[in-house]
Amino acid sequence: MRRLTRYGIILTAGLLAAGCSAGSSSSTSSGSSSGNTSTNSVLTISNENGALWTCGFNPLNSSYNLLSVGFTYEPLVYVNPLQSGKTTPMLATSWTWGAGNKSLTFTIRPGVKWSDGTPMTAADVAYTFNLIKKYPTLDLTGVWSVLSSVTATAPYTVTMDFSTVAVPYFYYIADQTPIVPQHIFSTIANPATASISHPVGTGPYLMSKCSPQNITYTANPHYWQPGLPRIHTLQYPAFTSNNTANDTLASGQAQWGAQYIPDIQAFYTSKNPNFHYWFPPVLNVSMVPNLTNPLLSNVKVREAISYAIDRDKVSTIGESGYEPPANQTGIVTPTFSSSLNSQALAAWGNGYDVAKAKSLLASAGFHPGSDGIMTNAAGQKLQFTVINIGDYSDWVASMQVIQQDLRAVGISINPSNLSNTDYQADLFNGHYQLAYVEQYTFGPGPYYELNNWLNSANTAPVGKQAASNYERYSSPATDKLLNQYSTTTDPATQQSILNQLQQVMLSQVPIIPVVEGVDWYQYDTSSFTGWPTSSNPYAQPPVWAFPDNEQVLLHLSPK
Amino acid sequence: MAMPVSGVPTDGSRAPAAQVPAGHALARIGRAIRSNRKAATGTILLLIFILVALFPGVIAHASPTQDAYPPRLGPSSAHLFGTNAYGQDLFAQVVWGTRNVLIIAFVVGLATTGIAVLIGVAAAYLGGAWDGTLGVLTDVLLVIPLFPLLIIIAAYAHGGTTIVLITAITLTSWSYTARQLRSQALTLRNRDFLEAARVRGERKLYVIVMEVIPTMTSLIVASFLTNALYAVLLSSSLQFIGLGDPNTVSWGTTLYWAENNAALQTGEPLWAIAPGFCIALLGAAFALLNYAFDEIGNPALRPVRRSKRVRRA
Amino acid sequence: MRYALRRLGFFVLTLWAALTINFLLPRLMPGNPALAMMSKFHSAGATPQTLRALETLFGVNNQQGLLTQYFGYLHQMLTGNFGTSLSQYPASVTSVIGSAIWWTLGLVGVTTILAFLLGTGLGIVSAWRRGGKLDSVIPPVFVITSAIPYFWVAMVLVLIFGITLHWFPSQGGYYVTTDTPGLNFTFFQDVLNHAFLPAMALLITTIGTWILTMRNTMITTLAEDYVRMARAKGLPGWRIMLDYAARNAILPNLVGFAMSLGFVVSGAILVEYVFNYPGVGYMLLQAVDGEDYPLMQALFLLITVAVLFAVLAADILTAILDPRTRAAR
Repeated sequence: MRRLTRYGIILTAGLLAAGCSAGSSSSTSSGSSSGNTSTNSVLTISNENGALWTCGFNPLNSSYNLLSVGFTYEPLVYVNPLQSGKTTPMLATSWTWGAGNKSLTFTIRPGVKWSDGTPMTAADVAYTFNLIKKYPTLDLTGVWSVLSSVTATAPYTVTMDFSTVAVPYFYYIADQTPIVPQHIFSTIANPATASISHPVGTGPYLMSKCSPQNITYTANPHYWQPGLPRIHTLQYPAFTSNNTANDTLASGQAQWGAQYIPDIQAFYTSKNPNFHYWFPPVLNVSMVPNLTNPLLSNVKVREAISYAIDRDKVSTIGESGYEPPANQTGIVTPTFSSSLNSQALAAWGNGYDVAKAKSLLASAGFHPGSDGIMTNAAGQKLQFTVINIGDYSDWVASMQVIQQDLRAVGISINPSNLSNTDYQADLFNGHYQLAYVEQYTFGPGPYYELNNWLNSANTAPVGKQAASNYERYSSPATDKLLNQYSTTTDPATQQSILNQLQQVMLSQVPIIPVVEGVDWYQYDTSSFTGWPTSSNPYAQPPVWAFPDNEQVLLHLSPK
Repeated sequence: MAMPVSGVPTDGSRAPAAQVPAGHALARIGRAIRSNRKAATGTILLLIFILVALFPGVIAHASPTQDAYPPRLGPSSAHLFGTNAYGQDLFAQVVWGTRNVLIIAFVVGLATTGIAVLIGVAAAYLGGAWDGTLGVLTDVLLVIPLFPLLIIIAAYAHGGTTIVLITAITLTSWSYTARQLRSQALTLRNRDFLEAARVRGERKLYVIVMEVIPTMTSLIVASFLTNALYAVLLSSSLQFIGLGDPNTVSWGTTLYWAENNAALQTGEPLWAIAPGFCIALLGAAFALLNYAFDEIGNPALRPVRRSKRVRRA
Repeated sequence: MRYALRRLGFFVLTLWAALTINFLLPRLMPGNPALAMMSKFHSAGATPQTLRALETLFGVNNQQGLLTQYFGYLHQMLTGNFGTSLSQYPASVTSVIGSAIWWTLGLVGVTTILAFLLGTGLGIVSAWRRGGKLDSVIPPVFVITSAIPYFWVAMVLVLIFGITLHWFPSQGGYYVTTDTPGLNFTFFQDVLNHAFLPAMALLITTIGTWILTMRNTMITTLAEDYVRMARAKGLPGWRIMLDYAARNAILPNLVGFAMSLGFVVSGAILVEYVFNYPGVGYMLLQAVDGEDYPLMQALFLLITVAVLFAVLAADILTAILDPRTRAAR
């Protein structure tokens, strides 16, 4: 007995000793090193991706591009969505639109080298686009739905011809397409599915080491912008859960975060005065009615729903105040405030007006039933199910608030919290009554989201998959406006069309924006400066946004 | 979950109380509970929880689901456990959650014990091939790890409502107590009073239902307690990892929301600690009662009371 | 020998049962849940072979009869083809599992050994000194600790030692950015550091059963005649306690150990979840979250097989050590 106790004590003491000493030493070996030269600077990223790394870096394949575009591969032009599409030339130095905006010519930057020393030319650009044409699965943004040809007309000139005039596609062509080396890709047997473990690109970083748990990038010594990048090493660990990723930020081990952190004041910013966050709003999160539903096809019912929701409360309770309330025009503010049709919005009035909601329902022929739910003369009740993503606890919480708000005006909704797969299946195929939705793609202006919602080309009948117009909205007049927008480069014309589109949102209420979805972004200024902030939004801040991530990396420098 | 607490379970070491009819057995049990400290503590705890489950509105006046209060408040006289990040009163959540937990505990406990009695006693009495097959079925289910099995069942069902949880847990957890009951039934087979019944000409079913089962009362009650305990732990674990229905009010789902909101790291520890503590308390109640039944059944295990006056010269 | 063969037969039978349950479950659920998963694989660009393998595993789009599917499934399982992981696409399931096994083995293995040593030790002493201070404290305390949910103990430890006192890290297996796995001292130290709290959580909740079971069997053994004989012979107390009583009392514990292993595994899953410890249990829950059914299936089978092996080993060990069981069988 005594023997056993002694061993037990020694064992515990040993473990404790190991624990305490290891605990103290590892806290100094993490991440940033202040006051050192740039050759020793290490930036650690915290972005929970839900899986370990597969160590593939093919920039054209969506399974791998997260880790390569922006770090190793670059686009022709950087377009800043947070500054109304302000452009920064990257691999292209200038560009011009041809007559009637039916062609686009880029001048390619000379003197840029691939990381293996080969010079980059217009041939690589043309090759990239034609490769995408050859393998349609690589056309993630659909550029070949509007392009007819891409040719290198001179060693440093590329001309693109359009089959349809589509000025807004400049963003997808110039900003969202990474340029790949012809001399490498042409030797790969199946470039569409190849994983590519040793990427060769023009970008500021080289991939130096990859394991399933962590990727290390080091600065490209032959990068075409002299003196850049200023941070020598990047560490990009793989996180499979939010908690671990959040912990590395809170402990200072990681300095650049893209995390949803509950109660961020208590969890993060209170731990260190250098910890900051900024959540730029980007897309609406909306209550989406299925317009084929007979009760929801009544615009007054939809208007009532819009006026019944207390968006401030949804924002505070459901989203901890991180996602600001949206408005019925669908313009995300403050990001796109310059495009807001303030007069039209003022005419709409206060977005939360219970009395107005009730009177709208009354004028639509509904009266409260014995159970408090609005019923019309035919006995139809305003009772709907709402599909929601069960995994997003903030969306589930928001829906609880919305449910309570709608009940107060006599509309009863029953949330159906689904898995992501089931949700998408129901949403895309139109098998729902109401849905809580945020669009999947973002663009450098309100046009992109509105086009996704309102363009009849993006919808499909119930039972077939709709691309982005899930509510099955279709209006020839609106389509005409949207097509007009895509043919012009004149900002004044564009704004006038946007104003009319906002009128459509207010008068026809095809969707009901509730709150504005944001980019999660945390940054630590202890060792690095140059971060994008709300006063200096030079790029979309999260590390998964490409090619914006490259801009952030180029602006950062060690203290 | 807890592991089996009683003495070596497989070979019927638990002696039956005595050969007395059921009514007397229950009265004896009642007396034993009062005299045994562990049993008394366990019973009192259990009764408190039952009261809370029956009259939650009397104890907690706030609504457990309305986001009615300022979020993230600490404990105060208005909110005994404070409020969570959604502005819900935590005390109300814990109080109202008791109902769901106890329903699961009792329903699963009864159903599982019922199945276990059926299979265990039938195996012992039918003997031969029946015993062989049922025995193998029991043993196989005993060894297959339950929690991972429940996880994949719940995963395929995309998260279970209370009914799904009850069904899944009942269908998979009966084997342990079935084995215990079978062992004891086997030892009883050749007792005199049963021989007497057989000689009298009673049918097998009569013998099983009216003579054997009442004799095993204490073991059956203990089985019920064990199964109820596991039901509580298994169901709250499943709810905690998100495989329950997050919209029901239950201790496990409160823990799920607490974990999702990093309650521990954001200075709202009570959100996670309080419901967990209740689970522990309820579990302790069942376990204490179970352990007390061990002592009642096996007098050798009862605490030795040393008399202080004993002093050998 | 016959005993060993019978136990082996039982092992094979249970393995077959587990495989069959695994086969039937997705097919029994209303609206085959694997359908949605298949469409995800389609959009990820899976090759026809990958898709075919998955179809056999889950019975989707399968024109074959149930029995044909069943044999195809068994063939795949027994040749180790568990399909492709969805969440770590395009890695195969077997390659994904490999990394996680060692973490769980280490955590569970070490904790179980510790719990066994400490637990049986305390149980022996407590039974030996019945009525003493130790014995009056131990049973109630450990009855309660063995009824506490694993995840709550883990959370309390995280709160006290991780967050408030900052004594130990409360997340992960090691610091991924600064340490590389390998046989170096810093890595080893880091691993111990991260494993301490999870191990404590498992230890606290599992030790109770060891203590109590050991105590109960010791008490029964101490009442035996040969112990009384040893006392009459005048042997020293500790010798009787260890050589006569404990030796015999410990054997039933081994049988109990095998059955309790299922609970230890369940506890490990929850502890890994709370600590985000990169083991097999954590990976199972991640797979559930990501609807990665091939990975989930394979992990369930892995856990079951591991438990079965342990049970088989314990049974055979008991047979070897205890002549009574050999004679009785």
